[in-house]
Amino acid sequence: MSLARIFNDFPNRRYIEFGGKGGLGKTTFSAATAYWLAKQGHKVLVFSVDPQASLSDIFERDIFGQGAVEIMPNLFAQEIDADQHIKEYQEEIRQKIRDMYGMDEIPEEIENYIQAAAAEPAMEESAIFDAVVDIVVGADYEYYIYDLVPLGHALYYLSMASVYDQWIGKITSLREEMQEYAQVAAILERKKESEEDQILAELQYIKNRINTSSSILTDREKTAFFFVVTPEEMIIIDTLKAAELFAKYQVPISGYIVNRVIPPELAEQDIPDYLRNRIAMQKTFLAQIDQTFGDGVLTSVQEFERDITGLDMIGKVADALFGSTLLAQAGGEA
Amino acid sequence: MTEEEKQNLLTRIGQSAKEFLYGMAGHDMTRFALKTRGSMEHLFILITMGDLLGIPILPPYYSLRLLPYVVPQISTWKRRMLRERDLTDALA
Repeated sequence: MSLARIFNDFPNRRYIEFGGKGGLGKTTFSAATAYWLAKQGHKVLVFSVDPQASLSDIFERDIFGQGAVEIMPNLFAQEIDADQHIKEYQEEIRQKIRDMYGMDEIPEEIENYIQAAAAEPAMEESAIFDAVVDIVVGADYEYYIYDLVPLGHALYYLSMASVYDQWIGKITSLREEMQEYAQVAAILERKKESEEDQILAELQYIKNRINTSSSILTDREKTAFFFVVTPEEMIIIDTLKAAELFAKYQVPISGYIVNRVIPPELAEQDIPDYLRNRIAMQKTFLAQIDQTFGDGVLTSVQEFERDITGLDMIGKVADALFGSTLLAQAGGEA
Repeated sequence: MTEEEKQNLLTRIGQSAKEFLYGMAGHDMTRFALKTRGSMEHLFILITMGDLLGIPILPPYYSLRLLPYVVPQISTWKRRMLRERDLTDALA
């Protein structure tokens, strides 16, 4: 199995996610995959859901909070500015209150609530979650590449969707029951029709958005999730644990990519013991990775001689990831 | 009395009978339905906007979307939630 084959064998998998512990190269691989797809004429958006996003660094351009920015033909990148999103959202709520009740100013009590809500710890994640829904329902791109947050966060993000879903489900059913009482009263009073419950409509809208986002993340047909690992004991153990948890949330794991492999040919040269020992250590853990993840291991990428920043280096990583394989055009509508 | 006046009188009698019957049978039911709905409305605000009383409610992001619709009820809701209760409440 190779990484390129996954793309060729499953042309409907248009939502690509890279996950793994922090600092293993999720952003690098996201960027490289976007580069590879864009070079072949597919319109790609790579976006970050990480409040400490590093797409700006890797593309050497400040794209934070600027929407989708075109990096090269067909390649767009976006970093979500959660604070900005929250501010706009708060203002939207205020404007709605002003419009609905013809107020010039928001009552103090309400204003305090709006501000306090923004200070809640879950607010930032929720705002990003909501912004991602906007991005993926837009359907402006052929491929969407999620540069995910490190493991713990990613799980939090997924579990949040199910918490939301249950919460919304419960209050929606309460609301529906209320609507029944209103209808009974309306019939008894012989009113023509009861008022439409706007809150119920709003709840259904929210429910729909949450389901859209979480169903994409867990859709076996449309989504490919790749774990990034490195040949180190702790990373292997943590990845194994995470993979089990992700499987519980029905995340379709498509495979594992090994990063930061020191080229073993170096051992034949005159190198210091320090490096020789590291190569020997990696050899042990590479064997362990093969044993643990088996056929799931798609490819391995060697440690580069310098940081991956700029399109030239990203191109090199793309070559290492996909080799010279091109994407079959059959399934694409480029 | 002209034909038209007769017709009017009949209509008015009919209308009064309808209202009388509604008062006898339907009014209490309507009142009960509306009262139940009102209580549920307050319960609904509690589970979505509980933070306003200091009861932490998850998740705040989407609660904000509902805020505009409950603005007029907030003060009566707070009064009801925070008021002291005694025996006479049970009789009400």
